[in-house]
Amino acid sequence: MISIRRISTNRWWHKKKNWLLFAIFLFLVFVRISKGSFYKDFYFFISKPFWPGQFQKEIVLESIDQEYLIKLNLLQKDNTRLRQILSLQESSNNDRISAAVISRKTGSWWRQIILNKGSKDGVEIGNVVIGPGGLLGRVKNTSLFTSSVTLITSPESKLGVWVDRIQINGLLVGSGDNYPSLIIFSKDADVKVGDLISSSPASTLLPPNIPIGIVQSIDETLKSKKTAKISLLAKPHVIDWVQILKVNI
Amino acid sequence: MNKFFIKKLSILSFIFIPIIFLWHPNWLGFLGVQPYWPLFWLLPWSMINGSINGLIFGLFLGLILDSLTLDNNFTQIPGLILCGFLFGRIKLHRAFWVGHFRYGLICSLGSFLCGTLYFLQILLRNFLDTDAFIFIPGIKNILAEVFLTGFFAPFICSQLLRMFKFSKR
Repeated sequence: MISIRRISTNRWWHKKKNWLLFAIFLFLVFVRISKGSFYKDFYFFISKPFWPGQFQKEIVLESIDQEYLIKLNLLQKDNTRLRQILSLQESSNNDRISAAVISRKTGSWWRQIILNKGSKDGVEIGNVVIGPGGLLGRVKNTSLFTSSVTLITSPESKLGVWVDRIQINGLLVGSGDNYPSLIIFSKDADVKVGDLISSSPASTLLPPNIPIGIVQSIDETLKSKKTAKISLLAKPHVIDWVQILKVNI
Repeated sequence: MNKFFIKKLSILSFIFIPIIFLWHPNWLGFLGVQPYWPLFWLLPWSMINGSINGLIFGLFLGLILDSLTLDNNFTQIPGLILCGFLFGRIKLHRAFWVGHFRYGLICSLGSFLCGTLYFLQILLRNFLDTDAFIFIPGIKNILAEVFLTGFFAPFICSQLLRMFKFSKR
């Protein structure tokens, strides 16, 4: 009787060690079935700091940034020099006034913003207002401490613009919503969705080469002209700080 | 001094309309459109002081608000004059019309009237070169403004009416 009891306590499943070995075996089976994906992912995280490309990528990107900045400066200088030779309109970075938006009407009948800089600070009627992204509008009215800006989305706004890819002039007309209309008086103009619109070099109201927007959709139903909806780069309904360009056109 | 302020409360509150009109907070808007603020003041004023006073102050409001907006070709005066006059007539039918939520309906109608008159001016001005791109945003503006004005009117108009009555007493 005593011997039987002894045998039953020595069964293999009564030993913790055996269960541990079984668990390890199961884990190894899982690793085998998953083709070592667990190990590979683990290796991904622990080897991350030692990857060869990461550090190199940062250096390369920094160099590219520097190269672009130098190129941009050179091109700007070239542009200014050539414009002087051809006696074209000029825009300088020296006459910029930073201003905050203190009142904003961007969604209703009236599309205007009021800025906290006025005639006291040297703002004049006709000055151009730009924000992060590009052109916002023109100063239409100034008081001593404030200036009112007609946005390019306002039905009152009509500006000459330039479609850079096909080198053609067009008219940007506000239509009372957030997407002003580009009118090109040529049925054959090859405007495409995604084309960049900037201020026209021939415009008498704006300095040249200020980015305005991107063609969002094209309407070809009219016989004599082509119209397109423009998605603006600068968003007047969220911008709090703008710059007023004092241009001499 | 205090008595003077209480007596002239309605006129003093008139000064704040252009400020609220310029304030235009985005979070209060719907589809980027704001309620038509001048109607909230014009309705109680006209109901208490009658059609002629409503008409005159509609004109004053129109003059001030037109000076704040940059659109020289269009004016808000016709809509506000008409609303001022019509709101003044409501006094005669007080027993039927007056009620908190009826202010919403009346202001909605007023806003629709003002919006439509403004939109008609834009359409007439651009009669020759109007494409569909002016038409759709215009309708959207009117509808959003009507909804918002009607929504806020019961809260604001009833308080202003109480205030004006108190100051007149």
